[in-house]
Amino acid sequence: MNQYIITEFKRQLSSLILWTAIICGLSILMLSIYPTFKDSFSELEAMLDAFPPAILEVFGLGEGGLDMSTPYGWYGMEGYLFVVLIGGSYAGILGSTILSQEEDDQTIEFLLSKPISRNQILFGKALVVITNLIILNIILFVTLLIAFSLIGDLIFLTTLLLVIGPFLLQLIFASISFAISIFVTKSRKVMSVSLGLVIGLFFLDIIATLTDELNFLKYITPYEYVNAVSIVNNQTIDLIYLIISIAIIITSGFVTWFFYNRKDITI
Amino acid sequence: MIKTKELTKYYGKNARGIIGVSMDIKEGEIFGFIGPNGAGKSTCVRTLLNFIFPTSGQAEVMGLDIIKDSVEIRRNVGYVPAEVHYYKNMIVEDFLKYSTDFYTDDYEERLFDLAKKLELDLSRKVGDLSSGNKKKVAIVLALVYQPKLLIFDEPTLGLDPLIQSVFFDLLEKEKERGATIFFSSHVLSDVQKICDRVGIIKEGKLIKVENIEDIMKTRAKNVRIQSDDFDLEENEQIVDLRKIKDSYHFTYKGKISDLLKKIQPYKIEDISITEPTLEEIFMHYYNKEDKQ
Repeated sequence: MNQYIITEFKRQLSSLILWTAIICGLSILMLSIYPTFKDSFSELEAMLDAFPPAILEVFGLGEGGLDMSTPYGWYGMEGYLFVVLIGGSYAGILGSTILSQEEDDQTIEFLLSKPISRNQILFGKALVVITNLIILNIILFVTLLIAFSLIGDLIFLTTLLLVIGPFLLQLIFASISFAISIFVTKSRKVMSVSLGLVIGLFFLDIIATLTDELNFLKYITPYEYVNAVSIVNNQTIDLIYLIISIAIIITSGFVTWFFYNRKDITI
Repeated sequence: MIKTKELTKYYGKNARGIIGVSMDIKEGEIFGFIGPNGAGKSTCVRTLLNFIFPTSGQAEVMGLDIIKDSVEIRRNVGYVPAEVHYYKNMIVEDFLKYSTDFYTDDYEERLFDLAKKLELDLSRKVGDLSSGNKKKVAIVLALVYQPKLLIFDEPTLGLDPLIQSVFFDLLEKEKERGATIFFSSHVLSDVQKICDRVGIIKEGKLIKVENIEDIMKTRAKNVRIQSDDFDLEENEQIVDLRKIKDSYHFTYKGKISDLLKKIQPYKIEDISITEPTLEEIFMHYYNKEDKQ
């Protein structure tokens, strides 16, 4: 069983390194532009005034939004978006392929012929997904700590929440994708569905911010749960969103467990 | 060792599963499970190993329920699938070691011994192996734990004749050790070679279970007579009469002495009377079912 988890972890290691490098690299890149940008902030502010308020709202720059002249406001506006989108995509891909790949490659027959229960198979895979996401976010956290210290304004709690937020979002996407992969076993197909979800919900988030009538949509899109404005300005993740997030993760886990223990695995 | 009662797997209208399969395979027995491709052999094996769930009926392996106790069952079963699919990027040796980690005992020595006997190259990547070599990996994995039950699904598929003979030697040893072997195959000569009993499966139904000796001891003989002035007609004893070149071929179901009397007047150049092969007997059962 231990060897199963270790082997599974090794199998996913190269993609973990790649995605971590992309996410941390983009964060560093965005923060490294900040000092240059800070000097010309007043010019930009004048330009931003020309935009309609609704557009500014989408980018978190509306009333009560982010102050781009501060490092955290800048990061919340420029870097966080990438972390959330790319991290979400990674989580979606990882969650959707880690199990479906076994059925696609028909190697699941090997695992199923060993004295290991379906629950142990699921548990091992889920553990590797969670471990990979934790490693990704710890490295991102350390990167951000160093970067913000260098810029000169480290706020520990905000930095921590700027990592916990995306982590929560990644867990949501990974767990939903994992559950979908029980039903759609072609790993390419399930990956498309997951990525569609990651990107589709992002646009839903934009629509929810843009249109007052569709404001209720913000409860459906997990991007709203980990909104940068609330983290940077209030140093908090809304409790109601936290509860919804955990409920989604637990429900996905339950669906996965329930159906995987009852399904025919035909290859 | 394996006991099924009305075991049924229904896949839907367009796919064949198994229907009401009842069998009782004893400990230490080598049971041949024969039928053409698509008859339901693999479905039956996969149901026994709980890859798929039966639609109805029950089955026990080693007295354990195939669904509830499937992990315990698999601890004592060595399985060779019809088509072998393992992790392509792993080196064979690493993969074999990884596989033994699912069990508590140390099997490394036996692992290398088996690999050597089957001439398996341990240093190659699994993905680079031919289907025959992949089959060897599967055979090593099935035999290494010395399980109580071996389930083989087309085990000789892809193996060259030399390795096949090594494989059958290994099976003889397994039999001496007291292992039960469930041997599913459409290669009837393999089944004839080692099995104690055979079950014939057709379109998902188990149509016949018989001792291999009894099934082979059928009174029908294959007769070939070479003659210029031969004149026989088909009747109850002489069936399936064909003339190929200057020889007459038929299946004879009566007493041999009667046959000899009957052909005495003719000028016979050559004659051979042989036991039918399992293939022919198998075809006989298959056709009989069709007529009914």
